[in-house]
Amino acid sequence: MQAATSSSHPIAPAAAAGGPAVRAWIAVAGRWAAGLVLPALLFGLWLAAVRGQWAPEQILPSPALVWQSFTELWQSGELQDHLAISASRVAWGLLIGGGAGLLLGFAMGLSATVRAYVRPTFDVVAQFPVLGWVPLLIIFAGIDEALKVSAISIAVVVPVAVNTLAGIANIPHTQVEVARVYRFKLGQVLRHVVLPASAPSLFNGLRQATMQAWLTLVFVELLASSEGIGYLMVWGRQLGQLDLVVVGMLLIGAVGVSLDVLLRRAESALLGWRRVAF
Amino acid sequence: MKRRTFSAALGALALTPPAAFAQDKPPVIRIGFPNAGTGGRPLGGGSYTANAHHLRAIDEEFKADGIRVEWKFFPGAGPALNESLANGLVDFGFGHGDLPVLVGRSTGLKHKVIASSGRGGDSYFVVPAASSAKTIAELKGKRIATFKGTASQLTLNRWFEKFGLNDKDFRVISLDSDSTLAALSTGDIDGTVRAPFDLEARGVARRIHEILDDPYITRPGTVWVSDAFEARFPQIVQRVVTRLVKVAHWSTLDANRERQYQLWATSGTPYVDYKATWDRARDLRDRLNPLLDTYYTASIQRSIDEVKKYKLVRRDVSIDGWLEPKYLQNALKELKLEDWWPQQDADGKTVVPGRKLA
Amino acid sequence: MTTASRSFDWRGLVLPGLLLAAWATVTAAHWVDTRLIVPPAGVLRTALRSLADPSFHLGVLFSVARDLSGFALGALGGVALGTLLGVSRRADRLIGPTFHTVRQIALFAWLPLLSSWLGYGELSKLVFIALSALYPVALGTFEGVRQITASQAEVARVYGFDRRQLLFRLILPAASPQIATGLSLGLVYAWVATIGSEFLLANWGHGLGNIVIKGRAAFDVELIVFGMVVIGLVGTLLNRVAARLEARALHWRRVAT
Repeated sequence: MQAATSSSHPIAPAAAAGGPAVRAWIAVAGRWAAGLVLPALLFGLWLAAVRGQWAPEQILPSPALVWQSFTELWQSGELQDHLAISASRVAWGLLIGGGAGLLLGFAMGLSATVRAYVRPTFDVVAQFPVLGWVPLLIIFAGIDEALKVSAISIAVVVPVAVNTLAGIANIPHTQVEVARVYRFKLGQVLRHVVLPASAPSLFNGLRQATMQAWLTLVFVELLASSEGIGYLMVWGRQLGQLDLVVVGMLLIGAVGVSLDVLLRRAESALLGWRRVAF
Repeated sequence: MKRRTFSAALGALALTPPAAFAQDKPPVIRIGFPNAGTGGRPLGGGSYTANAHHLRAIDEEFKADGIRVEWKFFPGAGPALNESLANGLVDFGFGHGDLPVLVGRSTGLKHKVIASSGRGGDSYFVVPAASSAKTIAELKGKRIATFKGTASQLTLNRWFEKFGLNDKDFRVISLDSDSTLAALSTGDIDGTVRAPFDLEARGVARRIHEILDDPYITRPGTVWVSDAFEARFPQIVQRVVTRLVKVAHWSTLDANRERQYQLWATSGTPYVDYKATWDRARDLRDRLNPLLDTYYTASIQRSIDEVKKYKLVRRDVSIDGWLEPKYLQNALKELKLEDWWPQQDADGKTVVPGRKLA
Repeated sequence: MTTASRSFDWRGLVLPGLLLAAWATVTAAHWVDTRLIVPPAGVLRTALRSLADPSFHLGVLFSVARDLSGFALGALGGVALGTLLGVSRRADRLIGPTFHTVRQIALFAWLPLLSSWLGYGELSKLVFIALSALYPVALGTFEGVRQITASQAEVARVYGFDRRQLLFRLILPAASPQIATGLSLGLVYAWVATIGSEFLLANWGHGLGNIVIKGRAAFDVELIVFGMVVIGLVGTLLNRVAARLEARALHWRRVAT
């Protein structure tokens, strides 16, 4: 959001002391405060629900219990172990699937021939929900790491390829014509026309891919695992300790946020030149 | 309240015939099973409680009263049944395993034990057909499957203990029954506790150990009613228990043995598995036993010690105040079956044999 | 964009044809364990058997109905939310952080809690499917609104557009490529969520997911494969429809390749 705007306030206050600097700091603080309003409200709602017993305690854990479980697991090191295993699975999946997706997307986007041969099959196969693959994958890849990484890779290929393709498809005709007039080589076309125009879509694809990766990870870990965040949630649920489920959810969210922030920083660095209306 | 008025009121109460206590009827009785058949189908097997469903005994009992009976089967097993009770969506639990029912109690679920759903049986440890392992010790560090949160988890721990091992020596993976079968077939797990007969017949797996008729490795199942339901409709609870005992009696008759196997096989577990495991029980009363005798209480206490030891519950669980045997006793008396079933001591030895059959 | 829209492009069949041939050969020659990698003929047999079974068609219908209702809910919410966040800086500051953070919680992570609260029935599935569709649609809409350039907005100001005209004449049309991408992705996710919720919230109801579960339980690999194929086909069909709508919405926009 703030990434694509160039009219945003400077993060670091200007060297000139006084009015502008103070205003800048207030603006930053204000932005943080604004972002925290909704979460604070929701947290209040959670507390009220627990206090007022809107739902039975077995299925609505109290924030205090969640915190307690979190600290216990953190101190025993178990949480870090689960996290590390889940993260490594996602990383591998993103690497393999993302790479394949980019290749596929570019190949289909840039070459009409490739598109003609591959796109129909891709369209059909892309509709296979990864979950549809899982029963088959379990049979072929087993229930160990191979299953998880392959499932995640499959899940990642689709959004990356789809968004890459869309990004290329949405390149304004005029820009390509200009490139043709100037007789750009393929490398130049890629660098000056394709990448800048499709970059937003590429980032979109990467974001979607990360989301899909976590989604699939959780699904597969819910289905068959002996370690990992998803496993932690299964364990919690099976033993009526839904606070562990919440801890898992929060952890997944936290990791996701960090990844997202990283992507945003990268995107703003690359796309900061665009002016936007809102 | 003044003493005089109080005793007058008490007197009036004592003289009021019970029928005048306008006891409203529930519109529906919701019975939950902590399991489901293969593929999640709503059918069960291996217990007289499952028979109650197959024979629609409870439905029959309350048809005249216009009370509907809802039968709920949970592929999510014991933990799912707990959740359902937490949400107030079920009134009776037919055959809850020790671990989930204790977990439920520890998280504050309010129910009362009114009967046992059965006991005994044999336990088998199987490995994939292609495996070369001959003992559990050889599987150290390998993947063993169990459905975490269910009674099978504790059963597996008992297996490990019996061989001087513990769950840290293995990689224990949580899989439901269907997934375990698939994993066995493809060799993706290295062992599990499961009935081996059909698996061996199909060449999928083979057993490497069997523990037969060990009163320490198996645990009796539990039939419970929610506190809320019992408080409002004690008479309905009594009728349910009485009907259940009737079905239990029917189930223990050898003449009905074959019929039961057929009914149970509709749940998806193969007929051959039921026949092989249940033909070993020459007297069905040894297993299809609803009594809350010393063996039951001692077994549950042993499970309580186990869940504490393995840190599977966060709050201490106590058996005190949990059992409510009066419904069972009334049922046995009414049906004149007080001496029908054998009573066993804490170690599973029969102290009072069942009624001699003609 | 395809040039000759009438003539069928046979090249698209080459790849699947090759794969099918390889599949048939490998199983016929028994180079693989045919219990696991079943021959195509077996899948065909199962296919014919299922197609003759009315409960199969009912299952498909149920799944699709769930998918579309959940998607409609989620898509509407998504467009509304995305527009709001894209247009209003204030809304973005208030809701944006929470939205983007909660979005990071993988949706299936909600399922244990969701099913604890709402049970295993239709409601939790619908909510889950709607949630799955909401995020990509909202994100796409947001991206689309965000990249409306200042000059385009100026034109609208010059014409004195009121709020409603601003929304329907400028914002939505200008953002429509990204919205369309978002909707398309949302449709994919909704179908994934439909099948996933049928797998994880299995309640022996009607649905394609349930059919595959039954196949797994019976170790009927052919049924699993056939189920997968149908799941894929339905998904493709839904997406084709979405693509056609997308194309129609963009017919005024020239594209490069």
